[in-house]
Amino acid sequence: MDKILRNKKAICIFIAPSLIMFVLVLIIPMVQMFYYSLCDYAALTPPNFIGLDNYKKLFFNDSTFRIALKNSIFFMIFSGVTQQIFGLLLAVLLTNIPRGRNVFKNIFYLPCVLSSAALGLLWAFMFNPKIGINNLLAKMGIEGPLWLMESTGFIVLPMWVIAFVALWQYLGQNMMLYMAQITGISRDIYEAASIDGASKVKAFRYITLPLIKPMVVTSLSLNCIGSLKFFDLVYNMTQGGPSHRTEVLATQLYAEGFNYFKYGYASAISVILLVMCLIVTLLVKKVIKVETYEG
Amino acid sequence: MSKTVQKKKTIKPITVIIYIVLIILAVIYLAPLFWMLSVSFKDNAEVMAAPFSLPEVFHFENYAQAWTLGNLGIALLNSVFVCGVTLIVSLFFGSMAAFAISRMRWKLSEATHTFFMIGMMVPVHCVLIPLFVRFAKLGLTNSRVGLIIPYITFSLPMTIFLLTGFFRSMPGELFEAAAIDGCGIYKCFFKIALPLCRTGFFVSGLMTFVGNWNELLLAMVFISDPQKKTLPVTLTYFVGPYATNYVQMFAAIIIAIAPTVIVYCIFSNQIVEGLTTGAVKG
Repeated sequence: MDKILRNKKAICIFIAPSLIMFVLVLIIPMVQMFYYSLCDYAALTPPNFIGLDNYKKLFFNDSTFRIALKNSIFFMIFSGVTQQIFGLLLAVLLTNIPRGRNVFKNIFYLPCVLSSAALGLLWAFMFNPKIGINNLLAKMGIEGPLWLMESTGFIVLPMWVIAFVALWQYLGQNMMLYMAQITGISRDIYEAASIDGASKVKAFRYITLPLIKPMVVTSLSLNCIGSLKFFDLVYNMTQGGPSHRTEVLATQLYAEGFNYFKYGYASAISVILLVMCLIVTLLVKKVIKVETYEG
Repeated sequence: MSKTVQKKKTIKPITVIIYIVLIILAVIYLAPLFWMLSVSFKDNAEVMAAPFSLPEVFHFENYAQAWTLGNLGIALLNSVFVCGVTLIVSLFFGSMAAFAISRMRWKLSEATHTFFMIGMMVPVHCVLIPLFVRFAKLGLTNSRVGLIIPYITFSLPMTIFLLTGFFRSMPGELFEAAAIDGCGIYKCFFKIALPLCRTGFFVSGLMTFVGNWNELLLAMVFISDPQKKTLPVTLTYFVGPYATNYVQMFAAIIIAIAPTVIVYCIFSNQIVEGLTTGAVKG
């Protein structure tokens, strides 16, 4: 038995296809992207090494990038905080009701499987200055804001709208992860606690919270990475406008790379995106220390 | 026992409040989708005049117009082809890797697992430009194969993650018994591990399929030939030139999301169950 499971040739055959695809499509292009980010590279001319100029230009000379960076960070913090809190809350509510748990769970998870490109169009229409929500408000005698067209403020209104739509769409994901973890906790622990006179709130604070910590790490890092690379909803709701005020890193990367064909410059943006993803993941792991519990 | 029976009989006020909150939330979740369905049957004048009423006459021709205007038939076929091939190949490759990582004994198995998991952290944006340049040289842009290759690669981490969890949850005695009966490693994999992993395939398959079905960025960059575009890219047409044709846009959206909604309605319980077992064990 042992000999069969140590069969080196079989291991190689099993691992090889995935490994080769990974190296060819992920690792090598990533290294290339680092090199391109140090080059002046327009689509038709070969890359020309210019050192850190792209980064200098990004940080000191590009107001659109500053907006994109600000919006992406805002978006990450907003989604991280709201989705974790409401996702956990929803999971706790759903695990505490006697009936209909599956129905609600399926409803809340539904938008996660739908195309965000399609939902972006739906919400863009809903927040149209004349038609959707403003039409309802007008009937109540309130003049609604221009929603996706507003362009004032530190974080512009369209960004908030997009952030709330994203919350609506992806809340189910976090709810599911937390529900999985909570239903995995043994009932005995809660019973023992209630015999000892612990209230439900106390049981949540001292049993549920510590035991779901590993899931907080997973869910929060997925959440943050997901919001940093966010593209679909922004592209289909505002396309970065009005006047670049809702640009995020991914939309700027797409515009620089494939509207203006500045490959080197766009690569520098993607390096920054990647570095941010790595920092956030490490930070989440560091800040939320996971102790292991027995049983 | 008797305690739990009693609990069910008396409905606590807190439970009522929870239900009210959940029902309001459910309305917030479902109302926009139903509203979209209702708009897709109106005509443009009616949408402007009374966007929130139910349609007076059902204009089924919206769907026919959206279908031809947006080239939705071809887009649908492209999406099915691209996602179908990706699904099969990534499940096959992923299950092989997951089997070797979870069931076979070698020094680097944990390191390999971590290596693949890093793939979950790398956004597809980060390889977009080099990949596009390389594929343009190889003649793989504007081809469905060129889209399928990165789709498979970026589906592998999730597939390997979920399937490793499923393989690990299988009892080891199964494979030992098979080995005693003279089963080779390949037979162990194809005849025992794969058939037992049906739930795992189902879950990771659906995740892969849904993820790629909705993927927009890669498809937008790699494909410019209208005959080869996938559904999400086709939808972006309705942002630009047809932007005033709301009813057709909504009909197109409904056509685009209908397949996932149908699949989800049929399998939602299995997806939810399977996802949770895979995620917790893995």
